[in-house]
Amino acid sequence: MARPSPNISLIIGLAIPFLMIILVALSIYVPAIFSPQPQYNFLYVTGDDYWNGRQYVVQSGKLIEREIVYRDNYIPQVARIFIHNVAANENQEISFEDAQKLFLNPNSKSPDGWEVVSGGDSGGFFLFSYSSGDYNSMYLQGHNTSKKLNLQQDSSHYRAHFLGWING
Amino acid sequence: MDNIKLNKEEVLRQIQILAARGLVSKEEVLSAYEAGTNTAEDDAVTPQTGISHILYYFGGAIVFLGIVVLIGQRWNTLNNFTKIFATLGSGIAAYLTGVLLGSQERFEKVSMVFHFISALVLPMGLYVTFDTAGLEVNTSGLQSLIFAILTVTYLLSFWLYRKTLFIFFCIIAGTSLFFTFMDYLIIDHSSFDWEFTAYRVLSIGLSYGILGYYFSTTRYRALTGFLLGFGVLYFLGAALALGDWKPHQNVFWELIYPGLVFGILFLSVYLKSKSFLTFGSIYLVAYISKITVEYFENSLGWPLSLVLIGFLLIAIGYMHFYLKKKYLT
Repeated sequence: MARPSPNISLIIGLAIPFLMIILVALSIYVPAIFSPQPQYNFLYVTGDDYWNGRQYVVQSGKLIEREIVYRDNYIPQVARIFIHNVAANENQEISFEDAQKLFLNPNSKSPDGWEVVSGGDSGGFFLFSYSSGDYNSMYLQGHNTSKKLNLQQDSSHYRAHFLGWING
Repeated sequence: MDNIKLNKEEVLRQIQILAARGLVSKEEVLSAYEAGTNTAEDDAVTPQTGISHILYYFGGAIVFLGIVVLIGQRWNTLNNFTKIFATLGSGIAAYLTGVLLGSQERFEKVSMVFHFISALVLPMGLYVTFDTAGLEVNTSGLQSLIFAILTVTYLLSFWLYRKTLFIFFCIIAGTSLFFTFMDYLIIDHSSFDWEFTAYRVLSIGLSYGILGYYFSTTRYRALTGFLLGFGVLYFLGAALALGDWKPHQNVFWELIYPGLVFGILFLSVYLKSKSFLTFGSIYLVAYISKITVEYFENSLGWPLSLVLIGFLLIAIGYMHFYLKKKYLT
């Protein structure tokens, strides 16, 4: 059997990692170019301790505040509510009273096909480590692309909690 | 032994005849010549020189550890200049010493040890330098920059000095660059999970295997064992991982895997690669064990599954022995 030309094997051997990088870059940037811009801002809360039950929930499109009974000597964090502007990737803190005036869609997916997701699991070691996004970060995902969200973080280990898409 | 007795004129005449009939190409003759030029150097390792080589590298590793401990113990008391001088400076000094010693043939092995020390210390030196400059060194972007600097350094070193060791360091640094740069690309995106890393390892394994074949035809064939060994280890390991586990199994990878393993075993004979044969056999055992436990444990029962795996291990062990004896020795 005739062996393939050595020079061809050098070119193919070196090309494989480069092609992999190009394909990954294309899979990230091409869908991002052609995906529609997200249209709906969303409301989220930080510092809402879910071990004792959520303080803020959406019912019938409106934000409501629930009375949470904490165990003795437990000092809960102060929950803060924010509107995230998806176009500018910026946050604006608002009061509960102002947030109550908004009409919210609590579905995970927005009417225009975007979803707020958390960074997933990670593992492996050294160069072979993997992670589906940063665990402490949240992403706007949809239309075969995703964008890291610049959300306000609280001092606890609890991540920001999505409340709903703002419909009006 | 008969081939050795052929005189030079006879060999050259045979090449002329074959060339006239178009049965041998210029590239094949040149590659056979190049493959033979380093034989004396590679075969010259006796037990005595082998021990001294081990001591060289052991000494090099101790020097590296000494630098790490020295810096670690006195990190808070050292000023910025001393931190950089002790790490990056040591790495550059070891590199230059290696270059100077390498210019004399009798110091060739010792020069390789200094290059070995520099290869360990230089990444740390760059890391310390960037950290001292106030940059965030734990980001994939800056790690990519460090490995890019090392890759280019060793590529230029190879271009200047034509030493096999520089290709080896270039491959290590380039592989690290590949992984860290991929991390940099995907860091702001959520949709890349462990399977993506498996595909990265798969592609590096494939690349190593093909480069291993290429270097087997050149005078740098000392790299072949390393590249083929790690290539098949990464490639078959990643392909096995991509098959995943019931109920999340990937049917495509589970079905194609036996073909890949037997392809590697076939190539072990073709390339005369013991690492292909050994890792191919090990991964075949791993695959059969995985499939048996995954699908037949409940139907056959655990004890019968063990008996089946045991017999298959014996069969694969014999196949490994037979192929090695018949084709690779």
